[in-house]
Amino acid sequence: MKSIRKYFIVLRISLQNAFVYRSNAIGGLLFYTLFIFVFFNLWRAIYQGGEVAGYTLAQMVWYLCITELIVFGCKTGVFNQMNEDVKSGSIAYQLNRPYSYILYQFSNALGSMVFNLLLYGALAIVLGLAIVGPIPGFRLSILPLGLFSAALGMIINFFLMMTLGLTAFRLEENTAFFWIYQKLVFMLGMFIPLEFLPGWLQNIALCLPFSYVAWAPARLIVAFRWDLFRQVVPMQLLWAAVSVILSAGMYRYGVRGIQAHGG
Amino acid sequence: MRNGCQQLRFCTEMGGWGMSAIEVRNLNKQYRARVKEEGLRASFRALVRPSYQEIQAVKDISFTVERGEILAFIGPNGAGKSTTIKMLTGILHPTSGEISVLGLDPVKQRKKLSYHIGTVFGQKSQLWFHLPPTDSFTLLGAIYDMDQATLKKRVEELTGMFELGDLLKTPVRKLSLGQRIRCEVAASLLHSPDILFLDEPTIGLDVVVKHKIRELILRMNREQGTTIFLTSHDTGDVEQVCRRAIVIDHGVIILDQPVKKLKYDYLNRKIIAVRFDAEQRLRVPEGVVLEKAGKMGARLSVDTRICPIDEAMRWIISQGGVADLTVEDPPMEEIISTIFTGRPAAG
Repeated sequence: MKSIRKYFIVLRISLQNAFVYRSNAIGGLLFYTLFIFVFFNLWRAIYQGGEVAGYTLAQMVWYLCITELIVFGCKTGVFNQMNEDVKSGSIAYQLNRPYSYILYQFSNALGSMVFNLLLYGALAIVLGLAIVGPIPGFRLSILPLGLFSAALGMIINFFLMMTLGLTAFRLEENTAFFWIYQKLVFMLGMFIPLEFLPGWLQNIALCLPFSYVAWAPARLIVAFRWDLFRQVVPMQLLWAAVSVILSAGMYRYGVRGIQAHGG
Repeated sequence: MRNGCQQLRFCTEMGGWGMSAIEVRNLNKQYRARVKEEGLRASFRALVRPSYQEIQAVKDISFTVERGEILAFIGPNGAGKSTTIKMLTGILHPTSGEISVLGLDPVKQRKKLSYHIGTVFGQKSQLWFHLPPTDSFTLLGAIYDMDQATLKKRVEELTGMFELGDLLKTPVRKLSLGQRIRCEVAASLLHSPDILFLDEPTIGLDVVVKHKIRELILRMNREQGTTIFLTSHDTGDVEQVCRRAIVIDHGVIILDQPVKKLKYDYLNRKIIAVRFDAEQRLRVPEGVVLEKAGKMGARLSVDTRICPIDEAMRWIISQGGVADLTVEDPPMEEIISTIFTGRPAAG
């Protein structure tokens, strides 16, 4: 289909671009390694053998590797991109193009996300194996399921960030949203597993999208259970759909604002 | 959307389908702008109850542009030029009035229209910053659903015309402003649009590059019949490129004339620069003003309503020993500022 082809070309060029600027990733890779290393030591000191809230030390380290991979490794600049586009005025060009702005941003981001997934994924595996050895009870058959969940997590993350970023069309200053969102994702699953939180908070978290970004895929990979899969993946699918709809809505709302009041 | 009856009337009025490139009728644009007064107290007040001011950017303007025309839309800052161009390209909704670009409504048929128009916004870039222009061209080609063969040919054509050869593979961030603008204009023409909208395209460029860009725009119009709609602050753009000028100030059109007529009507003045081969003390006749006098030369301003140009020339030559003589039109800036200040053409 001719109309879809354009998005694949955007993706391809974005991937090429990410590859050209691969040296930029070095800083991020180092930071990632440092983060894992620091928290490994922290948890090792806390653990002193045994389990905490259903996680062995090995599972904990792998958990962190995965959540960090999803949230940090594959982070998109989409939020800042929106702000940049509005402030520089290049939004004027983008509104004039015969494409879907949202799909365009998505395929653009996808290029760097795929590249980072491979890069940080490799690093995650190396670090995990080096520090604590393989995930206990891991079977290769879990991998595609885990990756599917991770992909959903990244989609939710992207479209929610996009929705927040699109507020730049209407608001002058929207960085507060960025920080609030980041912190919520951080506290509800990225930094510590949901199981560590008090029961009432867990229940609330399970109704919100934030824990489905990092906690869901990470939990599935380190301690896979079919009943857990059946519980979280439909929720991920739901939140993915909701986040896409939200971003489309915010886009329309924002564009109307631009059309009424100027850039 | 107009109904069938109205469309037919519009069509007959205009003398047929698709005759004009742009049709604007009674266009208005008002918007609210936040007003923030000075002082700490006012800032607090503004937080709780922001106050707004109604700004009328464009007031009831109407004009028509035919296909193949080169039109300048000129005016001082804040006159409503950018607002108008944004409405023509569908970025802004008009408050009231009708716009038809290539027979399409820019707001309701924005995507469809975008296939047929190209835009260059002077201070903004449409090229991907970290990529070489060739990648931007590929992306744009895909976005406009161009097939590989057509795109390749088009890129070759534009590369030759705009002399982009070496620049194509250099990341845009490494290009100079002049080089970048050449690529920007080329990019806007990739999909062979019927109309090219340029909003302050030569801003910040040096004289040589400006000249080059103007030449290229003229060439596009000549060779491919592209309608050009240009807004500018730079009267050189108007003088060298455009055949017709619409002057807008405070949202209202004050003038809509061919550029030649503009100059003729608005300033009945000629500038004569003369150099003598001996010292001269000049006693100027009526209608001639000595603007600048050196030992052996002078710059004279002639009000041709009082002293016709041939009389002035005769007088100068009668002074004897004329080594060099040039007769010029007054600079465009003067003409424009005369229009704006509403001063009658003075000598």
